[in-house]
Amino acid sequence: MSRLGDVEPRVIDDHMLKQAVGEQGPQEEAGQLAKQEGVLFKDVLSLQLDFQNILRIDNLWPFENLRKLQLDNNVIEKIEGLERLTRLVWLDLSFNNIEAIEGLDSLESLEDLSLFNNRISKVDSLDALVRLQVLSLGNNRIANLTNVIYLRRFKGLRTLSLAGNPVAEQDDYKMFVCAYLPDLVYLDFRRIDDHTKELAEVKHQYSLDELKHRENLLQAQQEDEQARREELEEHKAAFVENLNGPFLFESMYAEDVEGSKLACLPGVGELLETYRDKFVIVCLNLFECGLKQQEKRKAELDTFSQCVQEAIQENQEQGRQRIAKFEETHLLSLSAIRDASELTTLETRLVACRERVAELFNALMTLEMQLAEQLEETISLFERNIADLVGLFVENVQSLMAQCRDLENHHHEKLLEAAINTLEKTVKGELDEDLPDDVRALFVDKDTLVNAVGASHDVHLLKIDSREDELVTKVHAWCTHLLDRIHRDEITRNRKRVKEISQYADHAQTELDALECAELLD
Amino acid sequence: MEVLKEKVEEEEAAEREEAAERAERGEKAMWPMEVQKEESTVTQEMLRDLERKLSEIEVSIPEKPSTFTKDPIDVSKLPLSYQSNTLKEEHLLQVADNFSRQYSHLCPDRVPLFLHPLNECKVPKFVSTTIRPTLMPYPELYNWDTCAQFVSDFLSMVPLPDPLKPPPYLYSSATVLKLQKGNCFDFSTLLCSMLIGAGYDAYCVNGYGSQDLCLMDLTREVCPLTMKPKEAVQKEEKAPPKKYAIRPPRDLSSRFEQEQETKRQKAIQDEKEQRLRQEEERLMEEESAKTDPLYGLRVHSWVLVLSGKREVPESFFIDPFTARSYGKDDDHFLGIESLWNHKNYWVNMQDCWNCCKDLVFDLGDPVKWEYMLLDTSKPLLSLTEGDDSEMSEMNDEDDVENLGKEDEDESFDMPPAWVERIEISPEAFETRCPNGKKVIQYKRAKLEKWAPYVNTNGLVSRLTSYEDLECTKILEVKEWFQNREDMLELRHVNKITGLIIDSFKPGHPQALRVHSYTSMQPERDRVMEFYETARVDGLIKREETAKTMTEYYQGRPDFLSYRHVDFGPRVKKTALNSAESNPRPVVKITERFFRNPEKPADEDVAERVFMILDERIQLRYHCREDHITASKREFLRRTEVDSKGNKIIMTPDMCISFEVEPTEHTKKLLYQYEAMMKLKDEEKLSRHQAWESELEVLEILKLREEEEAAHALTISIYDTKRNEKSKEYREAMERVMHEEHLRQMEAQLDYLAPFLAQLPPGEKLTRWQAVRLKDECLSDFKQRLIDKANLIQARFEKETQELQKKQQWYQENQVTLTPEDEDLYLSYCSQAMFRIRILEQRLNRHKELAPLKYLALEEKLYKDPRLVEILKVFV
Repeated sequence: MSRLGDVEPRVIDDHMLKQAVGEQGPQEEAGQLAKQEGVLFKDVLSLQLDFQNILRIDNLWPFENLRKLQLDNNVIEKIEGLERLTRLVWLDLSFNNIEAIEGLDSLESLEDLSLFNNRISKVDSLDALVRLQVLSLGNNRIANLTNVIYLRRFKGLRTLSLAGNPVAEQDDYKMFVCAYLPDLVYLDFRRIDDHTKELAEVKHQYSLDELKHRENLLQAQQEDEQARREELEEHKAAFVENLNGPFLFESMYAEDVEGSKLACLPGVGELLETYRDKFVIVCLNLFECGLKQQEKRKAELDTFSQCVQEAIQENQEQGRQRIAKFEETHLLSLSAIRDASELTTLETRLVACRERVAELFNALMTLEMQLAEQLEETISLFERNIADLVGLFVENVQSLMAQCRDLENHHHEKLLEAAINTLEKTVKGELDEDLPDDVRALFVDKDTLVNAVGASHDVHLLKIDSREDELVTKVHAWCTHLLDRIHRDEITRNRKRVKEISQYADHAQTELDALECAELLD
Repeated sequence: MEVLKEKVEEEEAAEREEAAERAERGEKAMWPMEVQKEESTVTQEMLRDLERKLSEIEVSIPEKPSTFTKDPIDVSKLPLSYQSNTLKEEHLLQVADNFSRQYSHLCPDRVPLFLHPLNECKVPKFVSTTIRPTLMPYPELYNWDTCAQFVSDFLSMVPLPDPLKPPPYLYSSATVLKLQKGNCFDFSTLLCSMLIGAGYDAYCVNGYGSQDLCLMDLTREVCPLTMKPKEAVQKEEKAPPKKYAIRPPRDLSSRFEQEQETKRQKAIQDEKEQRLRQEEERLMEEESAKTDPLYGLRVHSWVLVLSGKREVPESFFIDPFTARSYGKDDDHFLGIESLWNHKNYWVNMQDCWNCCKDLVFDLGDPVKWEYMLLDTSKPLLSLTEGDDSEMSEMNDEDDVENLGKEDEDESFDMPPAWVERIEISPEAFETRCPNGKKVIQYKRAKLEKWAPYVNTNGLVSRLTSYEDLECTKILEVKEWFQNREDMLELRHVNKITGLIIDSFKPGHPQALRVHSYTSMQPERDRVMEFYETARVDGLIKREETAKTMTEYYQGRPDFLSYRHVDFGPRVKKTALNSAESNPRPVVKITERFFRNPEKPADEDVAERVFMILDERIQLRYHCREDHITASKREFLRRTEVDSKGNKIIMTPDMCISFEVEPTEHTKKLLYQYEAMMKLKDEEKLSRHQAWESELEVLEILKLREEEEAAHALTISIYDTKRNEKSKEYREAMERVMHEEHLRQMEAQLDYLAPFLAQLPPGEKLTRWQAVRLKDECLSDFKQRLIDKANLIQARFEKETQELQKKQQWYQENQVTLTPEDEDLYLSYCSQAMFRIRILEQRLNRHKELAPLKYLALEEKLYKDPRLVEILKVFV
């Protein structure tokens, strides 16, 4: 609303908020209580700030649990300051001066959004609102029907209003919307009947089919990518990513300048080919072994956590039963104490009650200590087993990597031989093939050649070593991390349970104390 | 026969030697007949005494003539196959006689075989031909147990004329079904026919049974309905101990003490068992009746079902009287003489000294079973069980293939059954027992059965259990009902405690399932169970005592699972003391809830207790997944006034709460106040619910009383016999159909009949006659058409004349006419004009249609089957 001229625009401040909360909060008796205690902003679920001439949204961050916010009939020009209101379900920004949709990216649970009577010309930046059901965009400046296609991504959208936009003047408007948003139930506050839907679908069938096809393609592509990513994740979890192919081999030659130069020597091509094949086979072996070991580790971990869970469950069940039994008698004795009139019997009863509480406390604590001991034992057993598994895996990896190194050494020898042969030939001038100039430069003398071949070899070895190191360190890191987590979890669990038990016992004791005090006062 | 001879020669020598030994040993004789011979030679008196005793026993069986001979059977109406034998049957009888002669020669010490008793018409018929395999059209009769049950229900038992001999007569099953009574041979023949028809490998057995068996005496048997079904003990699958299963805590209790304890327990247990055993023995002694002097001599007939066909895993006996199945080694079956099915006849050659326990039912073994006809359907000797079934199957197939050819073969096959088709009408099938009622006396129990709709209250069976053997003190009564409109299925009355348990089928108007009570008065001990899916409120069970009411729920949207209401003593206000006008004050309401998965455990109430007199509300919340304690909250609803006279709305001590994980907002007074207000409302609601439940109980009790008084029966819409409405409808439909038919008959009147009648009957028409006939018919029709036209014409003219006259009269008297007369005249004119116009139209239409009708008749006459032959040539 452009009422700028009449009244001075305002900003949301503490006073305004307090007033609004006070007015809209509980009334009568509850209101008295609320006034007495004061209402915390974070307890407020619904807030109404209409007709306040607000220009700028601000200071709303304390309302963490707000579900419904009404900011209609103000002079807001920009959507902002709503980032912290992540629980918002209902947002009304109608009758303002907003020009672009923005600042809604954190409102993931929003279901109802009203932007009626603003100056919006383009529908976008709504991607985060996955639960959107009602969208009101009437009386705006939307002129292009393609904005409707943007709304196709909201699968839950049922109500849409676009009346009063230039776009609604078009002849095809209704049919177009119905065709492109087939799940829509209400358009411009009217129910779409099935007949219209059918007509619209027929009318826009071709373009719609094309659109759907494109969407499907896109989705398939995304799914593919997702699958690939997941696969890679899985391999990474097994620490053998990029070993199911010639990646390692290729990376060895990626930084190896001399190696590629030497590749064009006669005979080296074939050599390289066989070397590559063998290397890839070893890599694949390594990969398989890694996956298998990963599965083993996973199974081990699963059985372990299952067993631990079972033990904890059983223990909890025992504890619950004990408490239930205790509560049964405790409630009876409490009411007996309340009804008792004589001081002496009261005393004895109270003492008995206290004893029962202490007994319960001891029993629960014993249970917990027992469980903690048992779990400790189990965890240490698991620790040993998992360490063994990791050790085995590392050994396997090392032996396979050694094979790689052997292959490399072998290849190095062969390459050297071939290089020296070529050198001899060049020296004799028998070389008939044309070699590129930079390669020819290597054949200046034997030392250069040997150095070059050696450098290539070193690079390869380095690559293999680094891959091995990476793998081994990662496995060990995973192992220590896992064990740390298990220990930590167990400790927190233990602490929590102990705290719970003592809290419960304390509560029972204080209850008894209060009773005693009351009786004494009487 | 050769096999038999060889065997007998061998055996005779051996037997003579053995006979001496046996006499020495004093063992029970090999053949029951021998015993009889010995006994009969020893004392004739004893036999007479027994016969007297038997006649005494017979007295106990209601309404039976001792033999069939007295029954009025109209022999003349029976088909020819009953009255005479075919050639083949004669041949068969000769073969049987031959077999019998050889048999009596070779085994002189055995009783004569039961081969060809006389039928209704006193014609000898071979037993196998009396079996007529029939598959009944009722699906209920497809299995052996239901078949046997039907036979035992449908026929009433008549004891054998001589309990020591097979009967001289064996009637056809059709006659037996008509008479609805028979002896054991009639029973087993009928049952065998039905079982073979249903595909079982069944045989009629002629043998010896115990007294109870022969006389259908079940008083020493435990009623199968009283036996509690054994609960299948489910073995808990013990999961294999897992790798990381925690070790159990160390057991610190003393093993010695445990041992001592178990020893002590065991001693007590032993003592108890000992006492029980003694008690049992005493009872057994009491129960075991005096021994039967005719033990082992009483002839009985039953049915043997061999394994193999119809997936019968093991061979067994069926006693046709009681429809019970017995194992082959049951004590009731004391020996077998012979057995037969519709194809062949086998004589048992095995020793029956140990009842039927040692018998081998391999009918292909000629040493053990002597066959009468060389039949290929049974294997000669089975070596292994697997072979047996295969071979018999193969032979069966061969049998089917060779069925036609084998007539001329040297092996003689069984002629077809002489018995008429075995038919059971649906009415008879439904009525089952003769007169629709049957009583069976079991040990300490009496079972009465009725056909449906015989009793007006739908009672179909009643089982009365007694405490003692003499059946004087009733323990409990179970009554089964059928077709009740109120869906009552079973009423179980315990006479000692007075507890009545009614069970209902789904469909009671109040979804009642079980109702157990001692009296129909409200506010007494009772339990009502419901079909909770049929109820909107999901109530499963409501238990009532004098002061409490407990309800169990399932599947409610508010997750309520249990409500317990404690009532206080009723305030004496008015004389009327019904719950409706003066409900009892509610003291305490306890409600429990299932876990609502949508709420966090700390906010999901598990139990709430409204202590209405104390104004106290207790809440207990659900326990969190990983916790052992649950939050609690207690509200004290005291309205107090502070020192200044202001009303205290809420103080911290009005709400005592224990929270597993304290949160800030629940500490607020506002929150507590709101929670308390909500609980107040809910308390009101719960009290109302309790009151409504009480009302519902009253309503159900009233309804039950009404139903009990009315006890209307439902009739299926498919039951054409009983359903009056559908019967009326059907009859009306039939009447309509009949009338329609009559009308059609009228329409198809023969137009040639009057002309044909003029001609001499029975003679063929000449061409001249035919032509004349046709012409006459046509001219007659033409005349009729003209007459009709004239008639219309005449009426038309008459009408116009009258009108003209009237018009004339009107013109003459126009001046003097009163307005009424004028009106009359005008209305007459309009009516007359209408009639004239109609007549004119009719005439015109007649003129148009007459030639067409004439042509149509001509056409019809040309095509008339009586004239067409003659006229064709002419045309």
